[in-house]
Amino acid sequence: MFSSWLPVELTQMAHSVDSFFYIMLGVVAFFFVLVEALLITFLIRYRRTRRNPTGAAVHGNTKLEVVWTLVPAAILVFLGAFCVRYVYALQKPPAQDVTIRVTGHEWYWDFEYPNGAHARTLEVPAGTPVLFDITSADVIHGFYIPDVRLQQDALPGRITQFWINIKPDMVGHVFDVPCDQFCGAGHSQMHATGKVVTQAEFQQWVSSLKK
Amino acid sequence: MEAVLSHPRPRRQSFVREWVLTVDHKKIGVMYGVTAIFFFLLGGLFALLVRTDLLVPQGVFDAQSYNEFFTMHATIMIFLVIIPLLTGAFGNYLIPLHIGARDMAFPRMNALSYWLYLTAGVIMLCSMAGGMPDAGWTAYPPYSVSAKGAGIDFWIFSVHLAGLSSILGAINFLVTIHKMRAPGMSFNRMTLFTWSIWVTAWMQLFGTPALAGAITTLLSDRHWSTVFYNSSAGGDPMLYQHLFWFYSHPAVYIMILPAFGIISEVLPVFSRKPIFGYHAIAYSSVAIGFLGFFVWAHHMFVAGMQMSEGIPFMISSLVIAVPTSVKIFNWLATMWRGSVEYSVPMMYASLGFIGSFIIGGFSGVLVAAVPLDMHLHDTYFVVAHIHYVLFGGSVMTIMAGLHFWFPKVTGRMFNKTLGHVSFWFYFVGTQLTFFPMHFLGLAGMPRRYAAYAPQYMFWNDVATIGSYVLGFGTLLIVANLFWAAKYGVKVGPNPWGAQTLEWQVSSPPPEHNFDEIPTVTDNPYRPYDPPQTEPEANPTWA
Repeated sequence: MFSSWLPVELTQMAHSVDSFFYIMLGVVAFFFVLVEALLITFLIRYRRTRRNPTGAAVHGNTKLEVVWTLVPAAILVFLGAFCVRYVYALQKPPAQDVTIRVTGHEWYWDFEYPNGAHARTLEVPAGTPVLFDITSADVIHGFYIPDVRLQQDALPGRITQFWINIKPDMVGHVFDVPCDQFCGAGHSQMHATGKVVTQAEFQQWVSSLKK
Repeated sequence: MEAVLSHPRPRRQSFVREWVLTVDHKKIGVMYGVTAIFFFLLGGLFALLVRTDLLVPQGVFDAQSYNEFFTMHATIMIFLVIIPLLTGAFGNYLIPLHIGARDMAFPRMNALSYWLYLTAGVIMLCSMAGGMPDAGWTAYPPYSVSAKGAGIDFWIFSVHLAGLSSILGAINFLVTIHKMRAPGMSFNRMTLFTWSIWVTAWMQLFGTPALAGAITTLLSDRHWSTVFYNSSAGGDPMLYQHLFWFYSHPAVYIMILPAFGIISEVLPVFSRKPIFGYHAIAYSSVAIGFLGFFVWAHHMFVAGMQMSEGIPFMISSLVIAVPTSVKIFNWLATMWRGSVEYSVPMMYASLGFIGSFIIGGFSGVLVAAVPLDMHLHDTYFVVAHIHYVLFGGSVMTIMAGLHFWFPKVTGRMFNKTLGHVSFWFYFVGTQLTFFPMHFLGLAGMPRRYAAYAPQYMFWNDVATIGSYVLGFGTLLIVANLFWAAKYGVKVGPNPWGAQTLEWQVSSPPPEHNFDEIPTVTDNPYRPYDPPQTEPEANPTWA
């Protein structure tokens, strides 16, 4: 098996981000095909031959310039404005949540659960908002969960955050939590394993941890 | 023209007098070029080591060596290859010729720029004996402060000197372009390459000091117990990132604007047409140069800023795609109704550059969007993006430029068949190496990993095989050019039938460039007359 596309979507937000990705990809792919098609067509259609020894005496066209300035500008600004609401939705944590404190160390992740217990594996309850308070004990790390399409750097002396709300039907799913900000010789070994559990399992597991 | 050709050649000078002591912009340009090509091969070797490591999931080399390889690769390619080649080599050689001047405004300072650059390179080479840097070309603290060994210190010293060389070069270009244009050459009659170097020089002048500040404070934190980046003592590692990217994002445009300039010179010549939209291309460079200073924080969307703080930087990053797309459309329109000759420089400029660079442009639009960057940041998607911009963009263009001006610089022609063969190795190798990285990034493989999960192996292996194809293509190109510099068929002043001033003097040009300073009455892109006779023979070696 090999991975070559977006991984599984653990959250509704991941699904929304993917939808936005496909919209952007569609726009971009359209222009990509357009430019490549024009390029290949012009290379072939206007190649130098005995009957086409020299190019036309054309210096430019103001109307065309205006069109191909304003059309991309309008599309790009529209796409930017369109995704602003995603940014705010991602940024604003819900009021009631389970907070897990994440600390990056060279080279492992430490998770502190609401009761103060620590573990090196990440178990997250499904169906409820979970907020990560992310920091680092030494150098900068990157707390990244590809399956929820989110990451924030873990910096010493600063807390960064993101929140997730895992879909209930994902219970039992095991996911990877890599470090994606370069942090030295152990960087590529710095992974935690994450697991989606029910809220009851979560409470049970957290209380079983030594404080 | 005959009078120019018969210009008497000066007596042969000693090597020291001819090269080491020279203040001639053309010789300095050639020295920049040859030195940068050496570093290009070295940086490429490090790239091949990086790719070789990734052949198998557990990695071929140990992680520490791998980290040193990718750090050396990026540092060499950015600071010692692409920037010096585009500004130092092409800029130095061409700007006085393009504006009708006899030399740069400050010839001795020009030589100093080169020797500072060479010293920067030698210091990077020394690190190979004294411990290579391992913090990436970005060298973020606190890691780069705590990293042991002299590697980072070599890195800081080398980047400092390269930066100083760059600032001196920028001042030289600005004064030269403002004060030394031939009579009649208004700004709107300059070549588009000159426009691009003019904008680039302003960016270097304003951006490089920020980098110098960042790495000086880094050095100070490493050795003199200051706490600029030590958060437990009130410092802030994010300050470094702001300073670093305030230079290093404009640096991306420093690495692409002169490349755009080269494309604007090559395309009209081989389309036998005036450039389409001269003013649009010139002014869009200015727009890119200006906007380029307002996008830096898009490298920091996940670095600890509030997500919504990214919005203005997202908008500016999307908007900067507009002047770039204006250029692309104008270049396409230059080929439209042209008479396109499939010369080697044209292959690099059209299929090679336009065909590849737009992939980097489009992936740039995707990573500029804050919500998408939350997933794609620091993954291989970003690695794919930067390589399509810098390799598919800048380096493809450098290849176009090297082949285009080679006969001017050496007075000889390279082997065209071998030129075409190496182009295809180069083009296919580029796509094979960098396109699969998009898939790895989408799937979530982080960058700067010496070892990876087995499900990423397939595309990594495709990329590695591609990099070998690319390496082979590079050797062919370099072999072809170096061989032809000595043994190639001799050519006249204007083998491509181009219109800009450098083609109106002998190949190579006389030391003083022009017997008589030309008077300029028009912009340099004019319609081509239908050929009265066959165009000057384009010899392929017998």
